[in-house]
Amino acid sequence: MPPKNRKTVKKTVSFSDDQNLTNANIHSHGRGLGDDDTPPVYVRKSLSLIPFHLLGLLFWFLKYSDFNTLGLLYLMIPTQVAYLIFRFNKNTIYGKKRLRVNWLLVFIALGACLLLSVPCLAIIVLFGAPFVELLRESWLLALHCCFLTYPAVYDVFNCNFKVGYFKKYFISVVIGCWLSCIVIPLDWDRDWQAWPVPLIVGAYMGSFIGFAVGGYI
Amino acid sequence: MGPQSRSSRMSYRISRFKSTHTLYILLLSSLALLQFIAIAFFAKGFLLTRTVLDNVAEIDPNLKYGPKYDKMVLLIVDALRFDFVIPVDENHPKYNPYYHNNLKVLHETSHNSTDSVLLKFLADPPTTTLQRLKGLTTGSLPTFIDAGSNFNGDVIEEDNLIKQLYLHDKKVFFAGDDTWDALFGPYLAAESVPYESLNVWDLDTVDNGVISFFEEYYVNEQRRSEYDVLIGHMLGVDHVGHKYGPNHFTMREKQLQVDELLRKIISTADDNTLYVVMGDHGMDHTGNHGGDSQDELESTLWLYAKDANWSKDDLYNTTNLGSSYKTMNQIDLVPTLSLLLGLPIPFNNLGWPLDEIAKDPEELAFYHEVCRNQLENYLSVSNIIGATAKRDALVSVESHTEFQKMFLEICKDLWARFDFTSICVGIAFMTFSLILLLIVIKLIPSIVVGQMVGDFVGCVVVLSGISNVSFQGIYQVLHQPAFLDNYIWCSAFATAVGIILGVLIPIFDRYSVQWLCLRLIEELSDYWSRIALLFIVIHALLFTSNSFTIWEDRIVAFLLTSFGMLALYEFTFLPQRHSTAAILSGAGEKQGTLSGKSVGESNSDSLPLGRFARILGGYHSIVLVLFTRLSSMITICREEQGEYCTPTFTVSNNYSYYTMLGCLILVPGIPSCIKGYFNVCSSYQAAAPIWIGFILKASLFASFLYWSLLTIENRFEDLDWDLTIWKYTISRIVAGMSLIGCNIGWMKGPLCVKLNIHNTDMKSQQATILGYSNVYGSQYFLLVLNFLMAIMLFNKPLGQLSIFLMCNQLLSIIEICDLLKLKESVIGPVALGLLAYQQFFSTGHQATIPSVQWDMGFILTEKIIFPWTHLGIVLNTFGPFILVALSVALLTLWKQPPAVLQPQTILARIVSNCGTLLIYNSVLCLSSFVWVTHFRRHLMVWKIFCPRFLFASLCLIVSQLVVTFITIGFASSRLIRQISQLFSK
Repeated sequence: MPPKNRKTVKKTVSFSDDQNLTNANIHSHGRGLGDDDTPPVYVRKSLSLIPFHLLGLLFWFLKYSDFNTLGLLYLMIPTQVAYLIFRFNKNTIYGKKRLRVNWLLVFIALGACLLLSVPCLAIIVLFGAPFVELLRESWLLALHCCFLTYPAVYDVFNCNFKVGYFKKYFISVVIGCWLSCIVIPLDWDRDWQAWPVPLIVGAYMGSFIGFAVGGYI
Repeated sequence: MGPQSRSSRMSYRISRFKSTHTLYILLLSSLALLQFIAIAFFAKGFLLTRTVLDNVAEIDPNLKYGPKYDKMVLLIVDALRFDFVIPVDENHPKYNPYYHNNLKVLHETSHNSTDSVLLKFLADPPTTTLQRLKGLTTGSLPTFIDAGSNFNGDVIEEDNLIKQLYLHDKKVFFAGDDTWDALFGPYLAAESVPYESLNVWDLDTVDNGVISFFEEYYVNEQRRSEYDVLIGHMLGVDHVGHKYGPNHFTMREKQLQVDELLRKIISTADDNTLYVVMGDHGMDHTGNHGGDSQDELESTLWLYAKDANWSKDDLYNTTNLGSSYKTMNQIDLVPTLSLLLGLPIPFNNLGWPLDEIAKDPEELAFYHEVCRNQLENYLSVSNIIGATAKRDALVSVESHTEFQKMFLEICKDLWARFDFTSICVGIAFMTFSLILLLIVIKLIPSIVVGQMVGDFVGCVVVLSGISNVSFQGIYQVLHQPAFLDNYIWCSAFATAVGIILGVLIPIFDRYSVQWLCLRLIEELSDYWSRIALLFIVIHALLFTSNSFTIWEDRIVAFLLTSFGMLALYEFTFLPQRHSTAAILSGAGEKQGTLSGKSVGESNSDSLPLGRFARILGGYHSIVLVLFTRLSSMITICREEQGEYCTPTFTVSNNYSYYTMLGCLILVPGIPSCIKGYFNVCSSYQAAAPIWIGFILKASLFASFLYWSLLTIENRFEDLDWDLTIWKYTISRIVAGMSLIGCNIGWMKGPLCVKLNIHNTDMKSQQATILGYSNVYGSQYFLLVLNFLMAIMLFNKPLGQLSIFLMCNQLLSIIEICDLLKLKESVIGPVALGLLAYQQFFSTGHQATIPSVQWDMGFILTEKIIFPWTHLGIVLNTFGPFILVALSVALLTLWKQPPAVLQPQTILARIVSNCGTLLIYNSVLCLSSFVWVTHFRRHLMVWKIFCPRFLFASLCLIVSQLVVTFITIGFASSRLIRQISQLFSK
């Protein structure tokens, strides 16, 4: 027992080294230079991946739509599908080649996003969203979050589930939402502070940044 | 090695441990002392205190005076700065058409006639409406905490003008700011109409209400006979200031509105009626007030009566924004009005009547004599100065006016000035204490601290002595530094300096600043430490805005949930930092987790977590998140949260049948939940079933009985039986048993292990010790339970439900930290600290003074009796903090098998974890110091920031005391000694 435990102490001391190694590993994954470490599926580094449509939608949402959350969702889903087909799928490398769009999977992924919104709603409520009142708004937020990650969901379905490569896209949306919570308590009494507008903006920004730089991480 | 040498080695070790332990306590106490001194200095500078006497003045029969006017119409225009009402030259550089030359009526009427007099009205800080109203009606200098009065901001008990009106059968009608209703409610007539005053976005409701009230009762002349005094308090100008600042066109509109109302009032003025228009304070260039800048202090007073013939002089110079205009102190209003209306001058008054009201010098001399009598009476009854040379000098002053000036100066010095030197000293000491804690607890390796602790204590003692001698010498001889009031503050200051130097010297003896900085960076290099830092920084930055401070309850729950979610993520996805760490440390041996070994043991050395451990960890994370959400549904909303928050911690909910049913379920619920956590490492042995299964259950049942009796009293009005004796019997038994009986029992060392001879394992023929792996943690948790029992009694039913959830959250956090190998990390104490705050809010508290549950003080006794009443309130208010400060040691002790670590090492780790909790609380306290000082002019300083600063200070004090004297001082040493003696090799 005692010698083993001393090792534990050592572990903590050398922890920072591990971190470097971990980072190094991640970086080599990201580069994807054909060595053995390359994941079977990854997204190419490309400027064409930047999802400008999200910014456009967000601009419309804040400026002209009177914060019509549902309308934004209706607009966003088709553009996300288009983004997947014309941009994201073209830049995703499976093994060493690109794949054509799997139309069946496009629709399955849409359904999956719809289903995914339920656990997403649960998480939002657990973080402190009102449960009974404003449930519709919370659910709309969950739907937004899920459909923002739609291209990643498609890719997860298109390859082995165990590939953790697409986690970052989900995480970017979560971080966007998490950070945007900061404006909720402020007493500025602005329209855009109403639930769930700030979180939707946060999610869009997070997703924009996530998809734009996702290939580089 | 023979048994002889073993036992001698053991006793040597124990004695060494004992001395190290004592030194640790001394070191931590000296750091605690430093923080207490810091808090004391800050509070001394920031909180201005005054003793309030409840005496009521009566007219001296030797100095009788009748009323000059029978009736009074008083209009208060909130934040009416002086330059708003005087003519301002349009070429003046500060001329602004939005707020100058709009409200002209006051100057027009007083300019060339003796009917009315216009004066610059000088307020005393703090310039907030509540404090000003107190000052305007009592004639005294009110402060944040008027010792002796109640805290609720409720009715002024102190003698005041409105109370005197009421006592002399004058009928007072009021309309406007509802602060009046809170302060003078019982003295106002039923016809009064108070309006909500805190909504600064609403510019018109109050004003329109006041105007229509005046239309009805004043302009409509038939109704003038219904009252003797008519008071209006308009808020429009003030609200424009807060909302837009003075430089806005709405300011002009509001001023014109006031102007119109005043013209209407004057044009129909009655005989024998005194008209008063005044502002309670000014506003600064941003439109805010609360501080002590010239713009905030300068307000307006206008007195008018038909054919009054005020004896005016020629000091009314309106050039240059009236900078040399004749001024009058706000407190002078009370004696002036009292004399004019023939009332006795309120007892606590410090003001002096206005010269203009006397028609000849004889009358003036008479008024001065009346006032001097009142002041001397106050001086002798209140004994405010004491029998000093100062007092003798004061009493011997011949001139009445001089006497009042001197007396006022003395009182001002005592009460009404922020003492910036003390504030800065407090902040500096707190910063130093934080740096010292950080260095001692986190930056220097804990083993080294164990060796250095003797140096620390020695240096602290010696240097405190030296510094005391030198500072006292300087102070006694030269009376420097001057901000120290007496020798006690001087020695506090000297001791603090001594402690800082005493800790710094051994540190810099061994380490350089550069090395410490590198250590700090290294300390923050891993993922979880950064998360912890993020949480601390976010929490500390909440005090930068009133909105964040208001919503602290939700934000804290949000952060705690974030921790739970991050842990859940960790367990589900096992990000790479774990697997790599495991590979590097060579812990490739993957032990079967389902082989009957307890999880803690099988995982103690193998990272990546086993499958079972991951499931368990995920389960604990979900429990933490879910229970955080559930408990945060219990809330007593802050007033400022308004419509966005529905209070659930209400009387009807607390004493509803559902809640009582919940409390009944708790009786077996808490023990069985805790049993579940104990069973994970089969620690539910020997003492545990007695403690948890019997004592805890019995105590919870007794608490339940107590609260059901209260519920019965609450729900049935016509109850024949007197339950009082039963209630006190039960509560005293529970409190005595849990706080005294059980702790004495715990001192005897209740082990939670069992020798299992019937081993089912075919291979081993040896006996096993059940609960071996958690021998420390299980025993220590029994101590936490002792306090839990007491805290349960002192919480209202919904609070009890919340504490039940807290037990689970607490143990889940500890399990998570154990599974993720975060026993040494900063995140553990920070998560526990967050838990304490979250539970503070969900047990029906807020960081405001009215939300303190004072009734909990009367659970043990009927009257206020020193330790018992206070004990109840402390256990109720700081219950979660006490539990957390106790269980922070569990981070180290939980699932710590004996005979692995040296006793000193365990102690050092406990100190390190406890210290991290203290660092967290110190950061919050320091942040609240800095921001409350920054916001001292903020509208909400006395409502939001100041209570939060008091709360942060009290939290730090409670955590310090519990950690130093109970967690480390009382419990840890006893536990570690006992177990290392039992299980030593």
